[in-house]
Amino acid sequence: MRKLIALAFAALAATTVVAQKPLSLRTPDGKPDLQGIWSNSTITPLERPQNVTSLVLSEAEAARMERATLERRERLNEPSDPDRPAPPKGGDGSTGAAGNVGGYNNFWLDPGDRVAVVDGQRRSSLIIDPPNGRIPALTDEARARQGARLKLMAGRGQYDHPEFRPLAERCLLSFGPTTPLVPNYFYNNNLQIVQTPDHVMILMEMVHDARIVRLNATTHLPRHMRPWMGDSIGRWEGDTLVVDTTNFPPQQNFRGSSENLHVVERFRRVDAKTINYRFTVDDPSTFTAPFSGEIPFRAMDELIYEYACHEGNYALSNVLSGARNEEKRLGTKQEKQ
Amino acid sequence: MRNTFFALLVAAGLIVAGRTVLAHHAFGAEFDPNAPIRLQGKVVRLEWVNPHTWIHIEVQKDGKPETWMVEGGTPNTLLRRGITKQTVAIGTEVVVDGYQTKDHSLKRANGRDITFTDGRKLFMGSSGTGAPRDGADPTEGGTKPPVKKPGGR
Repeated sequence: MRKLIALAFAALAATTVVAQKPLSLRTPDGKPDLQGIWSNSTITPLERPQNVTSLVLSEAEAARMERATLERRERLNEPSDPDRPAPPKGGDGSTGAAGNVGGYNNFWLDPGDRVAVVDGQRRSSLIIDPPNGRIPALTDEARARQGARLKLMAGRGQYDHPEFRPLAERCLLSFGPTTPLVPNYFYNNNLQIVQTPDHVMILMEMVHDARIVRLNATTHLPRHMRPWMGDSIGRWEGDTLVVDTTNFPPQQNFRGSSENLHVVERFRRVDAKTINYRFTVDDPSTFTAPFSGEIPFRAMDELIYEYACHEGNYALSNVLSGARNEEKRLGTKQEKQ
Repeated sequence: MRNTFFALLVAAGLIVAGRTVLAHHAFGAEFDPNAPIRLQGKVVRLEWVNPHTWIHIEVQKDGKPETWMVEGGTPNTLLRRGITKQTVAIGTEVVVDGYQTKDHSLKRANGRDITFTDGRKLFMGSSGTGAPRDGADPTEGGTKPPVKKPGGR
């Protein structure tokens, strides 16, 4: 009997040892291993709705949100009337990017289906500071800048040259922000991290943008050097990777930011399947206060796919030739010259 | 709690719809709201490319064949679900409603709604796998199996 008990204890001890053996979440040089393929998709909005006061949702609230999202998606995927006519002349009333012509089917989209969970809290917004979960008001300078941009655009004709078109339409940068890593709520919210002792590379699936972070650099590039995604330098603070990005080009902006945009990101691997990502955005010439957010990055067991944006970018030529067609139809200046 | 739920649902709903935020391009700049179309024809080619998939279909107009290009979304999302450009066989008959490009000399449109001829969404139905529907599976639904050319592509 004593032998049996001893064996039982030995078996239990062996099980315990296996269960407690830490997963190898560190690189050979002892730093936390952030490498892998991650998704930042979520149904938690960036900003909290104005009449919601709490950052933290109850389990029941989160479950209802997730269930309602799935039900809505199922409704959108239901069959249509096979004898449906053409949509209405004058447009179908859709707004935003769908631009009164309706975009495309829901089955192309993959915006995520889960509420964001950070440190065990189910979140009502990704923004955690200011406490209302909303991006602070724009400064007067930012509003004036936006007005000037619109005026410039209208004056020279936004369809008169490929370079007057937005960066995303020209396949130069993602239509979601590259810094901070906020989801676009459409699709391809996936990223791959590769790290060495000297560099960290963040490859975003959307438009295949790769951001290279220089580790252990103490200064940013000279002010006049402005890479498409800004200049990122990083350091380890304990087990947290801190990335500091400045030198954004004027064409790249986050929510109306200026070239003075300064973003600090913190990557902390909390378990085998999760990185907690925290960002702080500061741009005194655009926002009346800095703001911060948190997003869980969930490990994926799938690949990042190529996004060869120039390969099939008919949209840009369609937009420009469409404008020429309208000019002909209306008999505007180009036709008369 | 009720208010919280509904407010968040509205926020999430707008987001999930993907109709009010950023996109690769503004659809309103590319397509003409005054040129609505309904197309019915056979798939002759699939361009499984980014930023947008383009499905080429052949329709009959005044007894003559005419090829239209229909814009969809990114193929990456569908690839993750195991759907490839072989999923819909060449020759499959589809129904599309959308709006023509502002350049009317082009036979191109957005695929506002792309379905099989029985109304099921193109990449949501079982017939898209290429397996013929023989009535053995009661969940198959629909009455009009897609036309499939031997060999496909």
